[in-house]
Order: sequence, then C-alpha cells, then structure tokens
Amino acid sequence: MTKYIIKRIFYMILTLFIVASVTFFMMKMMPGTPFTNQDKLSAAQLKIMNQQYGLNKPIWQQYLIYMVNLLHGDFGTSFQFNNQPVSSLIMTRLQPSMLIGAQAMIIGSILGILLGAIAAINKNTWIDSLATFVSILGISVPSFVLGVLLQFYLAFKWHLFPIALWNGWQSSILPSIALAVSPLAQIARFMRTEMVDVLNSDYIELSKAKGNTRWQTVVKHTLRNSLIPVITIIGPLTANILTGSLVVENIFSIPGIGEQFVKSIMTNDYPTIMGLTIFYSVMFMVMLLITDILYSIIDPRIRLTNKEGN
Amino acid sequence: MKLNKLLVAGATVLLSASALVGCGSSSSKAQAPKDTVRISEKDVIATMDSSLNTDIIGTQNLTNTMEGLYRYKGKDIKPALATKVVQPTNNGLTYTFPLRKDAKWSNGDPVTAQDFVYAWKRTVNPKTKSQYAYIYEGIANAKDITAGKKPVDSLGVKALDKHTFQVTLEKPMPYFSQLMASATFYPQNPKTVNKWGKKYGTNSKTLVFNGPYKLVKWSSANNSWTEIKNNDYWNAKDVKVKKIQYQVIKDASTSLNLYQANKLDRALITGDTSKQMKGSKGYGIQKQNSTFYIQMNQQKDTIFKNQKVRQALSLAINREQLTKKVLGNGTTPAHSFTPSNMSFDPQNKSKDFTSETAKTGKANATYDLAKAKKLWKEGLAETGNTGKKFNFVLLGDDTDIAKQQNEYLQNQLEKLPGMKVTLNNVPFKSRLSRSDNGDFDLVVTGWNADFPDPINFLTLFTSNASNNKGKWNNPEYDSLVNKSMTEDANNPAARWKDMVAAQNIANEQQGVIPLYQNGEAWMTHSRVKDLDYGPSGSYNMVSLRVKD
Repeated sequence: MTKYIIKRIFYMILTLFIVASVTFFMMKMMPGTPFTNQDKLSAAQLKIMNQQYGLNKPIWQQYLIYMVNLLHGDFGTSFQFNNQPVSSLIMTRLQPSMLIGAQAMIIGSILGILLGAIAAINKNTWIDSLATFVSILGISVPSFVLGVLLQFYLAFKWHLFPIALWNGWQSSILPSIALAVSPLAQIARFMRTEMVDVLNSDYIELSKAKGNTRWQTVVKHTLRNSLIPVITIIGPLTANILTGSLVVENIFSIPGIGEQFVKSIMTNDYPTIMGLTIFYSVMFMVMLLITDILYSIIDPRIRLTNKEGN
Repeated sequence: MKLNKLLVAGATVLLSASALVGCGSSSSKAQAPKDTVRISEKDVIATMDSSLNTDIIGTQNLTNTMEGLYRYKGKDIKPALATKVVQPTNNGLTYTFPLRKDAKWSNGDPVTAQDFVYAWKRTVNPKTKSQYAYIYEGIANAKDITAGKKPVDSLGVKALDKHTFQVTLEKPMPYFSQLMASATFYPQNPKTVNKWGKKYGTNSKTLVFNGPYKLVKWSSANNSWTEIKNNDYWNAKDVKVKKIQYQVIKDASTSLNLYQANKLDRALITGDTSKQMKGSKGYGIQKQNSTFYIQMNQQKDTIFKNQKVRQALSLAINREQLTKKVLGNGTTPAHSFTPSNMSFDPQNKSKDFTSETAKTGKANATYDLAKAKKLWKEGLAETGNTGKKFNFVLLGDDTDIAKQQNEYLQNQLEKLPGMKVTLNNVPFKSRLSRSDNGDFDLVVTGWNADFPDPINFLTLFTSNASNNKGKWNNPEYDSLVNKSMTEDANNPAARWKDMVAAQNIANEQQGVIPLYQNGEAWMTHSRVKDLDYGPSGSYNMVSLRVKD
C-alpha cells in the first residue's frame, strides 16, 4: 500500500510538471499583455513595461525562470492585484470557497446516498418516482437559478438567511445548498441504479434466506457494495466543487476563488493562471488518489498493488 | 418498513435542521446604521499604492483616504494640500505650490513638499513598474526617466522648502491643474513606503492616510472594506459622515435585493435589472467620462476614405434605441467622441464642451436612415463602387452586453444596400491586438478619460496617434489640436476655441463614429445626500451627507 502511494505521488509530480509546462506555453500564446491599461499604452510604452517585467525575454527563458522560482515555492506576484503574492491571494480567496464546497459535498453526499437508497428499496413505488423526479430536477436546474430562487424566497422574502455578503457561517448556508443540489442529484441516481443491481444479486437472496432482517441485509451487504461507483464520482465532484463556483459566488457576493481563474485568463495575469492551474491539478489528483484508496477500504477484493501488476 | 421510515425520517431531520439554523438570523427590514453610508462596488481594490493604481475603483478609494494638491468640489478645482490654485510662471513651464502647514499623515508625520518629490520620483522610477507613469509625460525628463534613459533624480520636481513644492515642465500642460487633482499625483509618506517596500498598498496595515477617511480591514483580496472618518484630516470639520462601507457585488439582482432590504444605501444595477427599475424612486444615472465609438480601417478599406460613406454609416445607427433598449445600462447617446458633462468653457462654466459642438455632432450622428442611404449611394458613386457588395468584419468584445450591442449594430448597418456585416466577438485583449495589427474593417473601441479635458480625447485621433486604429487623418484637425497644445497653450480662451473647432471637424468628417457615453445606473436611498461626482470621475466624499 505505502509503495503504491509513493509510486502514485511520483506520477502525480510528473503529471503536474507536464500540465504546468503545457499551460505555460499555451498561456504565452494568448494575445495581449497582462497590463490592465494596455489599451492606453503606446507601442513604445508597452515595450518599456515588458522590459520592466521581464516579458521581453524569449519564452523559454521566462519558462526556466518561472520553473526555478516554482521549485523554491515562489508562485510570483499577481498583475491584477499589484504586488500581491499569488500564493497568498489563492489562500485568502480559497477559504470561503472551500467552506461552501465542503458543506455542499457533505449535504450532497449524505442526502444523495439516502435519497438513492430510499428510491432503490422502494423500487417502482411512488417514493421511487418522487426520488427520481427530485434527481432530475436537481440535475436540470442549474445552481445559479436555484441560488437566485433561494436568495429571493428564503432570504429576501422570509428573512431566514442573509441575502448575500460574507459575514460569518450563516452566509455560507444558502450558497452551500445551491451548490449541493447538483452532486446530490447525481449521487442519488448512481446510488439508486447500483443498489437496485445489488438488491437483485444472489448474495442478497442468501442473506434473506439466512434469516437476516431487511435492515441487516441492507446495512451489511447492500449499502457497502453499492458505494463503489458512488465513490468514483464523489472524488472528481469534490475536486470540482471545492475549487469554487463563479456564478454562485457572484450571486451571494462571496470573496471566493471561483471567479479568479476566468478573470486571470481574461486579463493575462500569467502568475495567477499558473498558480491556479497547479493548484487545481494537485487538488484533482489528490482526490483521485483518495478515491482509489477508499476503494480498497470499502471493497477488500480490490487490491491496489495488484492493479499495478505486482 | 422500519428501515424505510428511518431513512425518510433521517432525510427530513437533515433538511429541516438546515432550514432551522437560519431562523436565528431572522431579521426583518434592517435599520440603517447611523452616520454610515453603505455603497456597492463593481470590483475589488487592486492596489492602494497611488503609484501603481490604474483603475476607477482604486482612484475612488485613494480620493477618499488621501489628499493631493487639489480636490474637485462640484465642477471646480479647489486647493487641498496647496493653499491656492496656482497659476504657472515662466511661460507656463513652472508651477510653485505653497503647501498648507497643518496637514498630517495618520502616523503623525507632517505632509511636506518632500513627500511629493518622493512619491513622484517613485512613480516614474522604472523599478516601481507603474503602468500609469506615462501620465507624467510633459514634466521635465519624465518620459526619459520611465524609458530608463535618464536618472530618476533628474525629474523636474523640487522641494524649495518644507512647505513649497515646485514643478518644472518641458512644455506647457494646460490641463496640469486637472492632473494635480488626480490620485496618481498624490504625495506618499516615505517612512511608510520604505518600511513596507513591495507590500505597500496591498492591505490597510501597510498604509498611512492624509485624506478625509481612513481605510480599515482591507486587503486586496477582500470583497468588503470600511472607511472611517480621519479626525486628523486638515479639513475634518467638513467631513460629516462617520463611516463608509463598501461591498463588492457583481450580480445586479443581488445588489437590488440588498438595497430593497435596506442593507445598502447605494446600489449599482446593470442590464435587465436596470431596465426594470428605470423611473422608480431612487433610480438615477451617473454619466462617466468614457465613450464608445466605431473606427473604420481606412488602410484596409479605401472606401472609408470617403466622407459620405463614413457619414452614411453613422446616420444608419439609432443611438437612442441602442442605449435605451439594447444596453439599458445608464449609457446615453453620444454625438461626439468627447463625452459630455466632463469639461466646461473656461470663460463660462455653464457651457459644456459638447453643447458647443452639438450642432455638427447632432447633424452627423443622429439616426436618419433615408439620408444615410442617400449618402451611401453618393459615396459609392464617388468612389466608383456603385452596385458593389461589401462584407465588413465588425470586431468587438465578447461580453454578453457587447455581443448584443454588436448584433444590433450589424442589423442597423446592413440596412445600407449591398452592405453585409460579419461579427467577430473576441476577448478584450484579443480585440486590442487585432486592432493594433489593423486586422479588422470596423472595430468598436472605447476610451476612459485620464483627466477631464477634451484634449485627452482629441489627441487620440491625430494622424500619427497610436490609438487612431482606423488611420483617419485630417491635416486641419491635426494642426488645430497641435495649436491648442503649443501656440495657444497658455491662453485658455484661444485653446478652448481650437479644441471646439477640432471637434467640429471630427464630427463633420465622422473620422470615427461616436456611439454612446458610458454611465452607471444606481439606486440611491433618500437618506444619502450631496453625492458630489466630479469631472475627474470620482466622488468627493468630503461633501457627502446622510440624513437619518
């Protein structure tokens, strides 16, 4: 297991290096400069600015400089936020996004699994139909529509929650719910399908034949076996949600990271683009690793080391 | 069934728990905090370092918390750290500012002439990497210093004594007083800047203030910040509002919800929200010093060298409809590329620059399709293109609102017989590169004033100006613009006449086609009084009042 994880981490670093390099060169191909008032600078002034920021050097040189700095843990400073280190920018803006994302994933996973399980157990009854209806609704209503509705009714009309702004934990509830609905629906659908399969399998018949109660059967044999595919999607979903949502964060005026990626690309804020790319990649790969480890815990038949051909 | 019930019960508990939690915060229509004004803001403050700031938001917050030589009050420039509005000597080349002796930084240091010398040299120093240093061009040696050709100490500034600051220019700058009211020319406290180095201006702990307010609880990654009255400000007695709270809100309906729940006193609204609220109580429009216009690429399409063709394009566009129905954002039709409500006749402050050029402006930039078709036909005949078909690429931005605007322009221009317009909506930076490279037929561009003087717009379209992407040129226009900056530079009345004449030529020629002047739509609570929006494009919060 340890050996496997070390190997995986080595591959992660390799992948990260490739991602960072490819992004760096693609980013440099984008037209324009990172200067916020580029439209006001004449060609001569632009040349001076490029010189001052070292952007007139050949791209391979800029690449080497960046990579060397990166190895020293220096992500550079942002162009949009003058002189603000990219790492501190990401850290500050990440906290609200992480809080909302984590809450959304907890709500989404728990309710999703519950909803899927209820639907499967009551297959082909009105409860099942209701659960399916909720899932379809959850997938088809985008989080920003839900966000606006929640804001209008729960906050604006009924004063149950703050309308927006970031003042304490209460501010995080509505955005968390808005974000939770999509993973909730997806997880519920997977859970239901898988659980229906499991419920039809022979060992469930055996469990019933042994005289186990329905409760025992479901908890001991069904739930656990149904979770494998669900965990497969929870990994990437979590990585996706923890990295913030542009729209939901805008609706609730949350100082999160969601918008920064788009904004940094639009403004050619090179250091921020790189910082966020690296950060997102790490996040995604770590989630995949955790998913794989969880597999082996939930289903002892899956041996990670075997998969690697040992 | 036991399990089933349990699961259902579990789900119910979870759902209701999350709903109940919120009940604690239940608040009916909030009471507005006393002596406080709460304002929405479009985006974060990128920096509070006056040497590095480039945007309107930074400028506004610097204007709130810092003080320069002058400050706008209404349309007028009033002395601030300078004790009077100074007239230049030495043929308009030397300005000697006597400074007030009672001005202090919030760390207790007095504000001295040396603080100006320090800040200005820091801005032009290439090491500071200021993106706005070009605005210093005209002050002795500034251009060469930013280009690294001369030492920083050669800048034409001097502290004659502790409270006398002198500036030497290379050429007369008739708009110098306007510049002196802008944030890029504010002084800095050397002790503080040196202490924090590169971190200066990245959060409120690294700052000291000499203006009406002090910024607290801010870092450049924050979505909200507070400004409290600075009791050490030399004119603190005129500052009546104790606290200003800013909140970044990017979604217009959120902004409106917060305003209606009395959580905001002044809320910026855009798009459909703005259209929907138009005419309701509290709704108002703030014109900005910024216009949008179409440039025609005369180098690529020689047909645009014909005046009638250019006029035809301009007359085919219905600006009323564009601003009211399509944009609906507080924009107003523009009849010239120089915006209105920005600059006024030096001899008669009630005369707006655009009202003096309104005749030519309106004649050539008001919707008249019949006349447009007639001129189009004549223009085609004059250039030997009768009956020919044209396919022009209209280059524009790819934001939602810009796309709608470009589609509208396409629709309007295609009413000219034989004219087809293909849209090319690209991100802002791509649009800049492509217009620099001349890779367009028509391009929608805008300009936001650096300082409130028509010359800032007129110099955009002289024949060798880098912003003149369409390469329209008119020798008479060039010579008038030049005359205003040289021969008539020290004669405000003659200079004004030159600029009016130049604008009239541009209007008649339609070298660029004006579209609209930018504006913002705001909902403002009746408790907020005396919002003092100056020609510089910022609010003077010294005048702000609140009535509870």
